[in-house]
This record gives sequence, structure tokens and C-alpha cells, in this order.
Amino acid sequence: MAVSPVDPTHNDIPASIVPDALPEQVPEVSGLMGHAVDKVSSVFAYGFILAMGILIFEIFMRHVFNSPTLWVHETTTFLSAIGFVFGGLYCAARDKHIRVVIFYDIVGPKMRKSLDVAISIVCMTASGFFAWAAWLMVKRATLTPTGDIHFETTGSAFNAPYPGILKLFLLVILILLVVQFLIHAINYVRKTPVMSATAKE
Amino acid sequence: NAQEFTLKMQSSDSAGVPNFELEQDWAKRVGVMTGGRVEVEMLPVNSIVEHAETQDAIAAGILDGHITDTSYFSGKDPAFGLIANPVGAWSAPSEMLRFVEYGGGKELMNSLLNPRGLQFIGAVTPGLEAFVSSVPLDGVADLKGLKMRAPEGMVQQVFAAAGASPVNIPQSEVFTSLDKKVIDAADATVFSTNQAMGLHDIAKHPVYPGFHSMPMLEVSVNKTKWDSMPADLQAILEMSIRDLAHDMDARLAMKDMEAVAAARKDGGVTIHNWSAEERAKFRQIATSQWEKVAARSEDAQRVYDTLVKYLTAQGMI
Amino acid sequence: MFELQSLGIEYGTLAMFVLLLGFLLTGMPLAFVTLLIALIFTLGWFGPMAVPLITSRVFSFVSSFVFVSVPMFVMMAAILDRSGIARDLFDAMRLFGGRLKGGVAVQTIFVAVILAAMSGIIGGEIVLLGMLALPQMLRQGYDKNLAIGVVCAGGSLGTMVPPSIVLIIYGLTANVSIGDLFTSAFIPGFMLAGFYVAYILFRSYTGKNIAPPPKTEHIPREEKLRLLKGLFLPMLVVFCVLGSIYGGIASVTEASAVGVAGVIASTIVRREFSLAMLKSAALQTLSTCGMIVWIGIGASALVGVFNLMGGIKFVSALITGISDDPTTIILFMMLILFILGMFLDWVGIALLTMPIFVPIVKDLGYDPIWFGVLFAMNMQVSFLSPPFGPAAFYLKSVAPPDISLGDIFKSLLPFICLQILAVALLIIFPGITGR
Ligand code: NA
Ligand code: NA
Repeated sequence: MAVSPVDPTHNDIPASIVPDALPEQVPEVSGLMGHAVDKVSSVFAYGFILAMGILIFEIFMRHVFNSPTLWVHETTTFLSAIGFVFGGLYCAARDKHIRVVIFYDIVGPKMRKSLDVAISIVCMTASGFFAWAAWLMVKRATLTPTGDIHFETTGSAFNAPYPGILKLFLLVILILLVVQFLIHAINYVRKTPVMSATAKE
Repeated sequence: NAQEFTLKMQSSDSAGVPNFELEQDWAKRVGVMTGGRVEVEMLPVNSIVEHAETQDAIAAGILDGHITDTSYFSGKDPAFGLIANPVGAWSAPSEMLRFVEYGGGKELMNSLLNPRGLQFIGAVTPGLEAFVSSVPLDGVADLKGLKMRAPEGMVQQVFAAAGASPVNIPQSEVFTSLDKKVIDAADATVFSTNQAMGLHDIAKHPVYPGFHSMPMLEVSVNKTKWDSMPADLQAILEMSIRDLAHDMDARLAMKDMEAVAAARKDGGVTIHNWSAEERAKFRQIATSQWEKVAARSEDAQRVYDTLVKYLTAQGMI
Repeated sequence: MFELQSLGIEYGTLAMFVLLLGFLLTGMPLAFVTLLIALIFTLGWFGPMAVPLITSRVFSFVSSFVFVSVPMFVMMAAILDRSGIARDLFDAMRLFGGRLKGGVAVQTIFVAVILAAMSGIIGGEIVLLGMLALPQMLRQGYDKNLAIGVVCAGGSLGTMVPPSIVLIIYGLTANVSIGDLFTSAFIPGFMLAGFYVAYILFRSYTGKNIAPPPKTEHIPREEKLRLLKGLFLPMLVVFCVLGSIYGGIASVTEASAVGVAGVIASTIVRREFSLAMLKSAALQTLSTCGMIVWIGIGASALVGVFNLMGGIKFVSALITGISDDPTTIILFMMLILFILGMFLDWVGIALLTMPIFVPIVKDLGYDPIWFGVLFAMNMQVSFLSPPFGPAAFYLKSVAPPDISLGDIFKSLLPFICLQILAVALLIIFPGITGR
């Protein structure tokens, strides 16, 4: 293959640019919980593929059989929403949430350790408040004023209980976030401060 | 007099829509009528919480009240869907308002809302919605196989029963889908607003006056807050809503007629008006769906019973 | 509880910005920074009973249908990344752009415009270009900064070129024709893309080591044909997606699913498909969407809290109080949008400012359609501007680890200047919108 002369300084692909499948392992600080989250993650990942599949199905039904479904759009939104919510926990467990590390990068290892611990505790506390608030929300979305169980539905002709389930799911994920950040905090306290070359980002 | 109560109310309308301006005018009038003792702040849709979440937010004391389409709470209880838009029951705002004020509607609403922490003050309505279509529709038979968008609530079910194929796409995709003929028709809103949004540029066969939907907008506030108000302020608020209902009906109807006249003058748009027989046919299909919704919950059954009793007494069915 | 309400809305707003910036710099995950500020102000201003406001907004945000196309685009990217399609595509593109210095970067903008016509929202496209175009440009010897800028700026065009969710939301808020908005945004969108192209060419020809030298050697006919084959499948996928939108077969969001199906079919044709590949692509989608969506969640929650604090009235009074001169008011609005763009996601900015700006603009007698296009152009700036630049975050989520956020923001500066130039031109020459 004919290759044109290229400036040698730009010739090499930086080593990091490899179409690797998935980022590294679950970081140690996430503990067993991180591995558990990792284990179940594919279920929610497949949700996106399922969402794609049923959208295609809808197009097909509408154009070939002239009978659009009532359930596809609601279900797609639901599947995506579940994936988005779980994605937040998944990123926390893999420590993949985006951070601005300007300050973090210039401080020493001891300060960095304190920051890690403090951030984990703050995130845990915030998640705790949200979990409590979600519990109040879930009560309204799953119980009638008389105390009977009734999951809030979409109110459409299909009328699936998606809003009720999603709110409950959000509560569960927020509780798990509290646990995950607690584990982070404990493990960061235990860790001996090390000067890592490139801080996380 | 010093200000005694602030009411943060979220609307189901956007800031730039005529209906929101009418609601803001109402808020100002309440201030004047109470001598400044009640200050109402109208907030546009989704500004504090999403449209379907206001009921919970009011109950929690986050918002003080809302002016919103009761259908949005169909997912909480089908009763809300039935009372908000019993498709086929009303052919004019005054008919619905009579039921609410004097036919048991208000008591019914409060029996649904009080246990949830809300107090119903009154109802208003933007009026009969016009139907947006890119194909000529002159009767029920033309609805067969019509690919159309309808929102949650009764409307979708009624159209399905009438032979149409409702698609549940969200409001944000209505325009592009209509434009590219992914759908043929859409349940949107009143004629003048549809016209302003350019819907008639892409779907040139609107049905006006509409035949399919007249949403009830409920005005309700947090019950604890309401109960803490002295009787004079409560009475002023109740009366002001009755006036708002008149204001909204009159001014939006005028806007509609203006828009219809403009559309007729410009040409290019064919306005379809259904005959009395076709309207009756659709009405019959719609009423046949009420029972199905009623069967879904105890409260929905109660709404059904009250409604049918009233309509029968009035000789309307 | 600490009484934040005594600060008043003026100092409350200021405190909000200072805290945002402060927490941002600690290295706390961004998604949790905005959520935390929202929490602090909810607790301090209204007390614990108002906290469900935040969870309610989280629920509404994740369950809005407009975001369904984001995972679709990310999945398209993840699958393309795991196949040889992207590499073949860029090799073939070099065949055409080869004679032009900076040709492949120009073509990347061209690809970005096509992607923009396929989708109404940003996020997915930046991820797609970041996974595909960025490594390929670096491989071919493009300057890192230029390549990064091209990907972020080009990938943000999705909300400028119709269809655009920003314009749709604007149309629904302002009660104006979405069709008119789309028509008017067309030329400004292309103008902005044109600025990017001009900048690429300028840098490529005037700078050293910015772009690989043009191809001069003769390529044999068979080789050309082999390379051209690399164009076929991607073009077929693009044709299917655009065809399904403009042919009235699928709605914009549904069309993004067509894109995923098309890309999967392409890998099957190329015998590169495997279930393991699909699984890893789906997992990457989960991870990337987790990041993207959670960043938006916080901004949405913060706006809800700010509005409840009386933010709408405050900003409204601020604007109308600044001057009687309409031009000054418009410029002040642009300034507000610019500053908000440094701290919030576009959903938050749109939610916050549209209801305030639209009635004022209408009162001043300006054309709301023109203002809608101006608004969308401003959102382009907000995608790139630091410290809260969503485009940079999206790229960071898929860029090689040695590219830091600092690198990305540095690369974006010239592109931000081009965007501000476009905003200025729209104000000086409103005729660009055709109105
Ligand atoms: Na677009
Ligand atoms: Na920004």
C-alpha cells in the first residue's frame, strides 16, 4: 500500500490508542461490591440492544403491517432510563465518572488521600439524602392514599407500571451508591498514600 | 395590608404560550383583589418539576399549587383520566364548567385530591382542541388506519376504538414526524396555537371546531396551606378561578376565530368541520370507552357513576 | 439548619456559582458536584422536605424520550470502533482529501455535518467521532489540538443543523413554528461548519506539523478500488438513516436505531460480528451513557432548585433593569448565556433561560425565530466552554487516557472564538437566518 511521507513525530499512534474492549478492571477500592455491580452490568447493557431491536420492530409494524404498537416508545424510554440510572452506579463502581483534576494533580500524596476520603464521604452523604427523598417519592408512586399497592403507570392506553418501577429502581440504586461510596471511603482510609504518576481523571 | 400568603403555582403551559399569559394576568388580579395579602407566582411548565410530577410536589409542600391538565395523573389513578377528559361528554366549555361547579364535579375532584394532600379550587379549560391532520378527515370512517399521535389518557384509547392507529411519540417529535409524514395526524392543542406553531404549514387539513378533546385544567393548592387561609381569601380565590375560566374561554376562542379567519384568507389550508351526525358517531364510540376506564379502579367507577348520573339528568345522554 | 434564605437571591446566586467552581476543582465527580450544590441549597433554603424535588427531576430527566438516541449513537460508535469499518473509511477518505493539506480534518467536519443531520442532540456524535475520527487523525499525523477541536466542535453541530432538539424545545416554549426555526438555522449551521473548515485549512497551510503533507504519489487503480470499498458500507448506513428520516419512514429517534442495526449488519457482512463484540459494545454504551446522563442530571436538578428560589423573577428583573436599549438587552442576554454555559448543561440553560428570555424578546419587537437560532448558536459555545464543557467531557470519556481535560479545553479555545464570531455575525446581520 502506498503510504505518503509523514512527519515522523506524528507517525506513531500513541500507545494508549488501541481499540480496547473495555476499560481496565474494577478498581481495588470498590471492593466486592464493585465486582458485584460489574457482574450484573451486562443485563442492563443488553437493555440498550433490546431497545434498539424493538424500535426497529415498531418501524416494521408501522410500515409493513400499518399497525403501530402502543408499547414500543414507552418501553424503549423505560429500558434506556433503567440503563442510565444503573450507568451512574456502574461508573461509580469503576471510578469512571468525569472529574476535573487540576488541583488534585498538583497536591501531595497525603493531601490526595484526604481528598479521596473526603469526596467519598461527601458523595455518600449526598446519596443518602437522595435515597431518603427517593423513598418519599416511591411511597407516593407505589401506594394509593388508602394504603393499597398500586404502581404508578404511564397513563396511556398501554398503561405499563414503568414510572412506579423506575422510581423504585432509582431508590435501590441510590442506596447501593451509599454503600459503594462507604466502601470507597473505608478503602481510601486504609490505603497508604502513594504518589501515582497520573492521577485519575 | 401586608402580604400573608405566597402561592408558587406551576402551569402546564410554556412561558411563550397565550394561555400562560392569561394565567399570569389572573395571578396579578388575585394580588389586586386581596389587597396584596395573597401573592401568586406563576411558573411555566417544567420549571420546578416535570408536568406529571406537580401533584407529588404540591403534596410534599415543594410547590403550593398548579394549573394543569388533570389527565397527566392518569397513571396515579385512571379516575383522573376519566374526569379530566371524558371524550364525547362536553361540546363546549360551559357544559364542563356547569358539571364541575354545580353537578358534583368539584366534590368529586376533592374526594380524589384531598387524600393526596391537595385542595381543588376550580377548573378552567382552553376549550375544544382542534385536530391537526395532513389528510382530509370528514368523518369517523376517515379515521380508519390513520397514523396519529395522541397523548396519555382517554384520548388515545378512544381513537384506537375508532379504528385509528395511535402512536405514542412524545410532543418533541410531533413536528418532525408530521412534517416527514411518519404520522398523518396529531392531537395537539387549540387552533390558534397550532397555527402559531406552524403545524398547519405541514398538515393542511385541520378539523375545526375539534371533536375529540377538551381538557380540564385543574387549579389546586396544597391542602394544609388552603386550610390555613381565612374564609375571605378562600372565597376570593374560588371566584377568581370562575372568572379565569370565562377569561380563558373567551380570549382563546377569539384568538381561534382570528386564526381561522387568517388561515381562510391565506388559502392553502382546508378547514374541515364535521357534521352533527359524524360528531355523534364519534361521541358514541367515545362513551363506550368510559366503562372500560371505569373498570380500572374504584375511584374511576365513582367518576363514571357521577358523570353518567349528571348527563342523564340533564338529558345529554 | 443553616439559613441560606437570608442571603437573598442575589448573593444566593453568587454563592451557588462560587460553590460550584470550588467543588469542581476538588476533583469530585462532576455529576455529584452539581447534585451536591442542588442538595445544599435545597436543604439550606427550604429544608429537608424539599429534597424530593431533586429525585423527581432525576426521574424526569432519565425518562425523557429525547435521550433515547444518545445510547444509540454511542452503541454505533462502540460497534464501529470494534470493527475495521472506521479505519477503512478514513483510509478511503484520504484518497479524496489526500491532495488537500488538512483534507481528512475537513472531511471529518463533513462527516460531522452528516451526523448532525441524522440526530437532534449532542453526546452520541462526539463519542462517535472521538472513538473513530480522533485516533485516525492522530494516526495519520494530525496535530493533537486541531484533531481534538475538530471532533468536539464538529460533534456539537447536532443541535445547530436541523433536526435540533434545542430548536424544538425553543419552538415549544416560544410558540413559534419549528419548521421556520429549522429553515432559519440551516445557513447559520453551515456557516459555522464553514468557519471550522476555513480554520482547519488556515492552520494546515500556515502551521508546521499541523497536518500530514498532501499525497503526491500515484495510487494504482486496484488500490483505489480496494480503498473505495471501505466507503460503501458506511455510506449505505448513512443512506438508510437519512433515508428513513427524510423518507418519512422513521422518527428521528427511531432512525438512530436504524443506524445501530445498519452498523451491526455491516459487521456481519464483513465477517467481523461476534456476540462477544456486541456485549463489549453494549457495556461501553452503559459506561459512557452513565457518565453523560449523570452530568446532565445534576444540572437539571440545580435549575429546578434555582427556579424555586425565585431565580426566574431575579434573572428577569436583572435583564429588564439593565437598560432601555434593546441591543444592550440582547447583548446582556448573550452574556448571561455565556456565563451559564460555563457552569451548566444545555438542558439546564434552556430550561432556565428560555421562559425568561422569550417574552422579553417578543416585547422588544425582535423576531423570535431569529432569536431561537441565536440561542442555538449560543448553546454551541456552552458545549465547549470550560470549566463545564459537556463536549469536552463526552470526548474525555472515550479519548486515550493521556489526553487530559486540560488538553481538550486548550484545544477548544480557537473553536470557541469561531463560535462567538458566528454569534456576533448573527446579531449584526440577522439576515443570515433568512428572516
Ligand atoms: Na441535527
Ligand atoms: Na460550557
